[in-house]
Amino acid sequence: MFLWWVFATPAAALDSREIYQQNQDRVFQVQVLNRETGKKSSIGSGFIVGDGHQLATNYHVVSQVVAEPERFYITYVSNGGEEGELSLLAMDVAHDLALLGAQQELGKPIEMSELPPRGAPIFAMGNPLDLGLTIAVGTNGGILNQTDDSRILFSGSLNPGMSGGPTFNEFGAAIGINVATARNDISFIVPSRFLSELIAAAGSNGFDEGVDLQAEVARQVLAYENRYIEQLLAGTWPDLELRQFRLPGVISPTVRCWDNSARLSAVARYQRYQIRCANQNNVYLDEDNHFVGELVYEYYWLESTELNPIQFYNLYQSLNKDQIESKPGRDIVTNFNCETWFVEVSSQTFKSNLCRREYREYPGMSDLLFIAALTGHADKGFFVTLTMTGVDFDAALPLIQKFLENIEWTP
Amino acid sequence: MDSVILEINARGLHRYEPIKTGITRIGRALDNDIILSDPTVAPHHLKIIRHADQSIELINLAAVNPTRVDDQPIDSETFRGLPLQITVGRVQAQLLPRDYPVAATRPLAGNGNRAHLFGHVGWALLLVLLCLLVGGLDFFLSSYNSFKWSDLLKYLLRETVFTIGAFVLVLSILERLLVNRWEIRQLVTSVCLVYLLSAVVSMLADNLDYLLSASWPGSLLYFGWYLAIIPGAIALYLIHISHLTRERSLALALLIASPIALPSILQSAQMQSLFDNFSPTANYHYQLSYLNWHLRDSVDIDTFIEQARKLEAGTAAD
Repeated sequence: MFLWWVFATPAAALDSREIYQQNQDRVFQVQVLNRETGKKSSIGSGFIVGDGHQLATNYHVVSQVVAEPERFYITYVSNGGEEGELSLLAMDVAHDLALLGAQQELGKPIEMSELPPRGAPIFAMGNPLDLGLTIAVGTNGGILNQTDDSRILFSGSLNPGMSGGPTFNEFGAAIGINVATARNDISFIVPSRFLSELIAAAGSNGFDEGVDLQAEVARQVLAYENRYIEQLLAGTWPDLELRQFRLPGVISPTVRCWDNSARLSAVARYQRYQIRCANQNNVYLDEDNHFVGELVYEYYWLESTELNPIQFYNLYQSLNKDQIESKPGRDIVTNFNCETWFVEVSSQTFKSNLCRREYREYPGMSDLLFIAALTGHADKGFFVTLTMTGVDFDAALPLIQKFLENIEWTP
Repeated sequence: MDSVILEINARGLHRYEPIKTGITRIGRALDNDIILSDPTVAPHHLKIIRHADQSIELINLAAVNPTRVDDQPIDSETFRGLPLQITVGRVQAQLLPRDYPVAATRPLAGNGNRAHLFGHVGWALLLVLLCLLVGGLDFFLSSYNSFKWSDLLKYLLRETVFTIGAFVLVLSILERLLVNRWEIRQLVTSVCLVYLLSAVVSMLADNLDYLLSASWPGSLLYFGWYLAIIPGAIALYLIHISHLTRERSLALALLIASPIALPSILQSAQMQSLFDNFSPTANYHYQLSYLNWHLRDSVDIDTFIEQARKLEAGTAAD
C-alpha cells in the first residue's frame, strides 16, 4: 500500500530556479559564423535531443547556412564556454525546426513531453541578445488553430537569441521550442511533437555534400502548402453574406475574417464594405525575413445611389489596385506575369486578373494574385482578391476554382 | 545687278540694307555705314566695294573673327555672282540681288476672317469657357463626396486657370524671345485646344485599355501625347501663327516641349521598366468601364481555370 502510494505520487513541480539548474548544461547558444571573418552573423539557442549528439533549434536560426553554405557554418557554445562545430542533419521548414549534429556527445538529452493544460506555468530558456543563458516564466495559452496547430501561445517574454531554446513544463520536460514573439508577453512556441517527428525521420549523417538545400526547402514548403490546399479543398466552406453576394466565409480554422471597412467621410456619396480573411501560416523562408504560406482573400462591396455611372466607375477603378503585401527583391523573385479574363460567375461577369511570380532560388514555388471585379452594374461594384504565397501554381488553381464556384449572386 | 541688298539675320525679323555703288563699311564702330552691335563684330570688320562693272569686292578688316564668305575666310576677294553668304563675327548675312524672290505672303490668323479659330477674341473666349467647363466636369466626375461650390472654384483656379495661364505665360515669353511678337489670343486659343484634347485622350486611353484588355493603347497615347501631340501642336503654332520655317519650328517645338515631356516620360512606369526591368508589384489591367465594351469573350469558370494553367511563369530580372 505504501509502495503504491510512492509510485502513484506525481513528480514534484519545479520552480524556475530548479529548471534552470537542471538544464543549464543542456541548453546551448547556436551561432552562425562567417567563414571569412570568423565572426557571428546570427545567434540563437539549441538544446540536446536524440542520442546526445544532436541539438534542436529553429530553422530560421541556421537559414543562412542553408542559403549560403560556402559562406557560413554553425557552432555551439555551452554555458560553460565550450565550443564546437555543428552540421545540419535535418530541417522542417514548415514548422521552423532544424536538427544539428555534433561530433562528440554534448550531454544528456532533454526529455520531451506533451503540452500541459492551458494556464499551466511554462518556462522558456535561451540566450537573449547574446547576454547569457536566462529563463523566462509564463503560462501556456494553448495550441493556436489559426497557425495550423503549429504554434503554442506563450504568455511570457521571448527575445531575439532565445529562438530554438526549449520551453519546459513545470516538471522539467520540454514541451516545445521557442520560435517567435509579438512582444508584450505574447510569444510563440513550436509543439515538441513536430520535433519528435523530425528526430525520428532524420538520419545520423545529415545532408550529402553538394545537395541543393534550397531545393529541399522548396520541396518541404510545397509539400506543406499542397497538404494545406488539399485540406481546404476537402472541407465544406461556410458562407458569409456581403450585400448581394453569398461568399466563401471562414474556409479553414487557420483563417480569421475581419471587417476591414474604411471609415468614410460624413459627406461621402457612396457606401463601401470590406471583409478581409487571412491565415496565420507564416512559414519562414530566408534570412531576409521573407515569409510564405500566406492565404488572404478580401471582398470589397461598393454601392451608390447618388453618384452617376461615370463617377461611380472612376471611384470603382481607383479601388481596383490590390497587390500582394510581400514585396521581395529582384534576387528573390521574378517579375509578375499577368493575364486577363472575363469570367462568368453565378450569372455575373467578372473582369479577372491572374498574376504569378516565381521564387528564383526555390524551384516550383510561386506567389499568386487573383483579383476579379464585377462588371455591368451602374451603381454596384464588387471585387474579390485572393493571394497565396509560396505555393505550387498548378496546385493552387483548384482553390481559385472552388472559390469562384462558391460565389453566389443573390439579386 | 542694278542694286544689291544686304540681308542681316536677326531674331524673328531680318534687317535689310541697300548696298550702293562705291564703298560700304560694316562694323561695330559708329562711323561705319552699317553698324552691327554684336560684340563678336570688330569695330571695323568688313569693307564692301561695288565696282562699276557690277562686281563686288569684299575686304576683311578684322583681325579677330575675320570675315568668311560661303564659310571660307577671305582677305580681299572680288565676286561677280549673287547671292553670297557672309559671316561677320557671329552675325549671318546675305548679299542678294534686289530682284531676289521672296516667299508668298502668309495670311494673318484671325484678322479679317471671323471664322478662323485662331486669333479671334470670340473664339478665344469661347474656348476658355469650354476649358473651364471641362475642368469643372473633371472635378465633378472625380468627386465622390458632397462638395461646395467654393471647392469647385478652388479646383478650377488650381487645375484649369493656373495650368492654362502658366502655359500661355511661358509660351508667350518664348514667342517674344523667338520672333519678337506677342500673339496672346492665338496662344490662349491653342493652349485651350490642347487642354481639351488632353481630356479626350485621357478618357480614350482608359476605355481603349478596357476594350482591348491590354495596356498598350494607354501607353501609346501617353507617349504619343508627349512625343508627338504636344511638340506637333507647338510646331503647328510656330509654322502657322508665328510664321517660322518648318525646320526651325520643329526644332523649337521639340526644345519647348522637352521640359514638359522628358520628366513625365522618364517618370512613367514604362520608362522605369526600361531602366529597371524588375517590379515588385503586379501590373495587371485594373481598368473598369461603365460602358463595359470588351472584345475578349466571357468564359465560364472551368474554361478560365483550363486557360489559367497555361499562364507562363514570370521572367527573372537581370
